[in-house]
Amino acid sequence: MDRRRTPGLSSLTTSRLQTHHYTAHGTALRTRNAETLQTQLSVFQSLLHNFALTHSKDIRANPEFRAEFARMCSALNIDFLASSYHRDSRDAGGKDAGSIWTQLLGGSVNDFYFNLGVLIVEECRATRAENGGLISLADLRTRIQKGRSGILGASLSVSDDDIKRAVHSLAPLGSCFSIMNIGHRSLIRSVPKELNTDQSTVLEAIQLLGYITVSMLQVNLAWERPRAHAVVEDLMADSLVWVDCQAGENEYWSPAFISGGGGGGV
Amino acid sequence: MTSISSLPASSAPSTTTTTTTTAQDTYIFSPIYSFPPFFTLQPNPITRSSQLQSWSAHIQSYCRAHRLFSISLIDALPTPLFTNATLSRALSLRDAKAVVHWMSTKDGGNRAEWTGRKGDVEAAETEGGRAWIYWRRPEEWAQVIEDWVDRTGQRGTVLTLYEVTESDATRREEFWGMEGELLQRCLGVCVKKGKAQIFGGEGSEGVKFF
Repeated sequence: MDRRRTPGLSSLTTSRLQTHHYTAHGTALRTRNAETLQTQLSVFQSLLHNFALTHSKDIRANPEFRAEFARMCSALNIDFLASSYHRDSRDAGGKDAGSIWTQLLGGSVNDFYFNLGVLIVEECRATRAENGGLISLADLRTRIQKGRSGILGASLSVSDDDIKRAVHSLAPLGSCFSIMNIGHRSLIRSVPKELNTDQSTVLEAIQLLGYITVSMLQVNLAWERPRAHAVVEDLMADSLVWVDCQAGENEYWSPAFISGGGGGGV
Repeated sequence: MTSISSLPASSAPSTTTTTTTTAQDTYIFSPIYSFPPFFTLQPNPITRSSQLQSWSAHIQSYCRAHRLFSISLIDALPTPLFTNATLSRALSLRDAKAVVHWMSTKDGGNRAEWTGRKGDVEAAETEGGRAWIYWRRPEEWAQVIEDWVDRTGQRGTVLTLYEVTESDATRREEFWGMEGELLQRCLGVCVKKGKAQIFGGEGSEGVKFF
């Protein structure tokens, strides 16, 4: 009974039947595959859940551990800050949760960064008159650790990494907070102003000695005097440098050196 | 290139002391004190207001640590208050006047006041005379003194002004050594609130708290 060879009308029906069977089988396979993946994903999630729960205290308290955890998450392609903004892609499974992390850690890790973000905004605003809205990461960190430790619980220790993440988490607000690198220092900019090349060059040069003079700019950068003068005046108008008139030639100091440059201990 | 010799680089800022009291030895200046431009009033108004605030905080904490209730600008200029010898930077008389003037305004929180009677005030201001530095304002002092009276159970007793500010009994209090004129003013606040009464004539006054 070899049906395949059967000529005639019935062979048409058979081939349709066959296609149907193949399709059905394919669908079944695909479903099973998806189910397996789903199970794997949920197993993974619950493991991650357990891990995060057992270590949530560490995640909150220990900056190094938090950084490692964050690194692991990003290696797994999970952005645990952004996850609250992309809830659709994340929770394709249909659960009605916000971010995984709000689910897992009761929002504490997310909240940690948002709280830190608020502190950063506060500190930047408080020091804006002094430094023109440009504060070095290290400076900001010591300010936050020293000044406001009461707010997030007594033992608030933050790492530079935390601050960077927190600043990034401020991005969806459309505010102008961003991190910029001048020389080998990271600065947090809280004013919407863009610096032009000359200005960043001067700020970079200031990192070396803590100050700059017009003639230093002329000699080292081969700038014309008016050009050097104009840049410095601009920076001064934005409160990005302070002038010291008692040194013969006017010296222009970066306020970032108020806390770090004197060398003297607190 | 300018020479680097004027840099504060590694020298500790707190070494600028003239040793008279222990407070001076241990007084720690705020970090901004070793920032050279701090001693030049900034032309930019925003920076300037931040700078004035820092100066006000600096002057208040210095005066508190050294128990200074008033300063004479001319005399105080060469002291570490206005002069950082390590950096060889000093606030000029004109700028010091501007700082104290700002402190005496509402913006500065009324943390200073030129001394003297009505007519003399302007003279004091223009010549850089004496000014009260209110690291505690008279109202706050009144409260502190009242608390002390309470704590030591001296309500209803008559105290001489000497007892309040110069006797051994108050040596550990913050208001010990307060100048008579300021004390009068503080007690005046208590009197106004109906919490105290001042007796006696010039030079031998006594005060009684109810």
